[in-house]
Amino acid sequence: MAIADASIGAALVPSDAVSRNERWARIRRRLVVWVPAGSVTFLLLLCFVGPFVLPLPSPIGGSVLDSGLPPGTAGHPLGTDVNGNDVLSRLIYGGRASLTIAIATNVIGLVVGGGIGAVSGFLGGKADTVIMRALDVLIAFPSLVLTIAIAQILGPSVPNTILALSAFSVPAVARIARSATLKIANMPFIQAAELSGSTTWRTLTRHVVPNITPQMLNFALLGMGIVIVTEGALSFLGMGIPAPAPSWGNMIFEGQQSLSATPLLVLWPSLALLVTVLSFNMLGENVRDEMSGR
Amino acid sequence: MTTTVATTSIRTEERASLLGRVLGSPLARLIARRILIATPLLLAISILVFAMLEAIPGDPARNQAGMDATEEQVEAVRKQMGLDRPAVERYLTWLGGFVTGNLGRSSVSEQPVTSLLAERMPVTIELVALAFLVSLAIAIPVALLAARKPGGVFDRVVMVISMTLLAVPNYVMALLLVLVFAVTLRSLPAIGYVSLDDGLLANLRSVTLPVLALAIPLACFYARFLRGDLVEQMNSADYVETARAKGVTPWKVLWGHAFRNSSFGLLTLVGLNIGGLVGGTVIVEQIFSMPGLGVLMLQGVMSRDTAVVQICVFIFAAVAVLANLVVDVMYAVLDPRIRYGHR
Repeated sequence: MAIADASIGAALVPSDAVSRNERWARIRRRLVVWVPAGSVTFLLLLCFVGPFVLPLPSPIGGSVLDSGLPPGTAGHPLGTDVNGNDVLSRLIYGGRASLTIAIATNVIGLVVGGGIGAVSGFLGGKADTVIMRALDVLIAFPSLVLTIAIAQILGPSVPNTILALSAFSVPAVARIARSATLKIANMPFIQAAELSGSTTWRTLTRHVVPNITPQMLNFALLGMGIVIVTEGALSFLGMGIPAPAPSWGNMIFEGQQSLSATPLLVLWPSLALLVTVLSFNMLGENVRDEMSGR
Repeated sequence: MTTTVATTSIRTEERASLLGRVLGSPLARLIARRILIATPLLLAISILVFAMLEAIPGDPARNQAGMDATEEQVEAVRKQMGLDRPAVERYLTWLGGFVTGNLGRSSVSEQPVTSLLAERMPVTIELVALAFLVSLAIAIPVALLAARKPGGVFDRVVMVISMTLLAVPNYVMALLLVLVFAVTLRSLPAIGYVSLDDGLLANLRSVTLPVLALAIPLACFYARFLRGDLVEQMNSADYVETARAKGVTPWKVLWGHAFRNSSFGLLTLVGLNIGGLVGGTVIVEQIFSMPGLGVLMLQGVMSRDTAVVQICVFIFAAVAVLANLVVDVMYAVLDPRIRYGHR
C-alpha cells in the first residue's frame, strides 16, 4: 500500500526533483544509523584499547602537588582534579568501567532474562504464571531504589554493581522475551517443527530463540543508556564503583564539591555520559525503526 | 396493607438489582480483579524488602548500643529492639503494625516512623506533583506545535533538543541547573527546602531547581511520544479524514480531534512513569538537600534504620503498583472494549 502510494506520488512530480529528494533522504537515513554507530565504536575503542596505546598517566595515586591544574597543562590535556589525578585518564578509565558494567549487565539480562522469558512464554500454563508473578515483584520496584537496596547488601565493587543492576535488567528483558515468544508460539513453522517430532527443547533453541534474538538485541541496545545512567547514579551515591577508582558517577560527585570553583570537573564526566547515552539511544532507536520497517 | 408490602418489596428488589448491577458491572469486576492481583503483589514486595534488609551486613543492635558497648549491653539492646525473635515473627509483627498504623520507631532519631513519614511525604509529593505539571505544561504545547508541520524547522529543532536532553541523567541536569541558576546567575537557591508555612513564593523558589531537574527529561519524553502519536493519527486515522472533509481547519483537527485521542496514550504513559519518577526523586532530593522520602530512605539504608527503610521502599514500590492499577482502570472507564474483556 505504502509502496503503491509512493510510486503514484513519484509519477506526478518531475523526475529529477524526486531523485534529488530521494537521494538526500537515503543519505540521511544512512547517516542517522552510521553516525551513532561510529560514535559507539569510537567510544568502545577509546575506553578499551585507549589505556594500552595512549600515553595516559595513571588515573589514581596522583600527587596533591599537581592538584587542580587547568586544562592545557603539559601532560594533562584536560587538567587534573583535586587529588592531582589526570582528568582525561580518569574519564577513559571511568568509561571503561561504565561500559564494562553496562555490557555485562545487558549480557546477563539477555541470557538469563531472555532464557526465562522464552521458556515461560513457550511453556505457558502454571509455570508461566508463577514465573511472571515473581518477576512482577521485581519490576514493581523503581530501578534506582531496587539497585540501592541490593548494592547496599552486597557492598560497593564492580561485580556487585553488575549484580545489582541485573536485578532490573533480567525481569525487563524476560518480559519482552515472553511477549515476543507468545507472538510466534502459534505460528505455522513452530507447529510444523512440533509435528515433525522436534522436542520442546529443540523447538525452543532452534526455532524460538533465533526468531526473538534480533528484538532482544535491540532492546538491550536501548537498555545500554539506562544501565549507564543508573550505574552513574549508584557511583554518585557512593554505592557503585568504590573511590579512588574512577567512574563517571563518582567523578561527578567529587566535582560537585567544588562546583562553583571548578565547574569543568563536573562538566567533563557529564559530557562523556551524555555523548555515550545519546549514541546508544540514537543507535537503538534507529535500529528499531529499521527493523519495524519504517 | 398488602399494597405497601408489595411496593416496599419491589423497592428493595429494585435496590438490590441496582446494587447488583453496580457490583456485577464489568467495571466493578475489573477493579476487583485488579485489586485481587495487586494485594498479593504488595505482600510479596513487603516480604522481599524485609528479606533484603535482613541480608544487609552489620548488626543493628551493635550499631544502636555503640562501638564500645559490652556483649551484655548489646544483648540487652537486641532484646529491647526485638531482634532476638525469629525473622518470621518479626515480619508478622511489622505487618500487624502496618495494618494498625503503628510502624515502630526509627533506631537513629528515636522518632515514631509515622511522624517521620508525615513530615517527609509532603515534600516528595510536592516535588513529584509539580514535576508532572511542569513537564506536561511544556510537552503538550511543544508537541502540538511540532506536529502541526512534521519535518518542519520547529519540529526538527524540538526533536534534536529533546533527544539530547533525554540523554542527560537527572543528577547531571540537577548540577547543570545549580551551575547556571545558583552559581552563575545567583537567582535561585541551590539547596534547602522552605516549608509552605513560610510563604508560597519562598517555597516555590526553593523547589524550582529540583522540580526542573525532574521535569525536563520527562517533558522531552512526553513531547516525543505525543508528537509521534499525533503525527500518526493525522496521517492515518479515518476520523481525521472525515473532519478534514467536512471543512474543519487543520489546527482544529489537530487540537480538537487528534489530541483528544492521543491524550489517552499520554495519560497511560504518565501513569506508568509515576513509579520511576518517585524513584528518581531519591537522587534529586539528595543533591538539593530536600527533606523528602528519598533522602529519608538513603539515610536509613546507610545507618541500617530498618523500620524506616522498610516502609520507605515499600511506599516506593506500592506507588508504582497502584499507579499501574489506576491506569488499567482508567483505560477500562474510557474504553468499553476493555471493560467487556475484548482485548
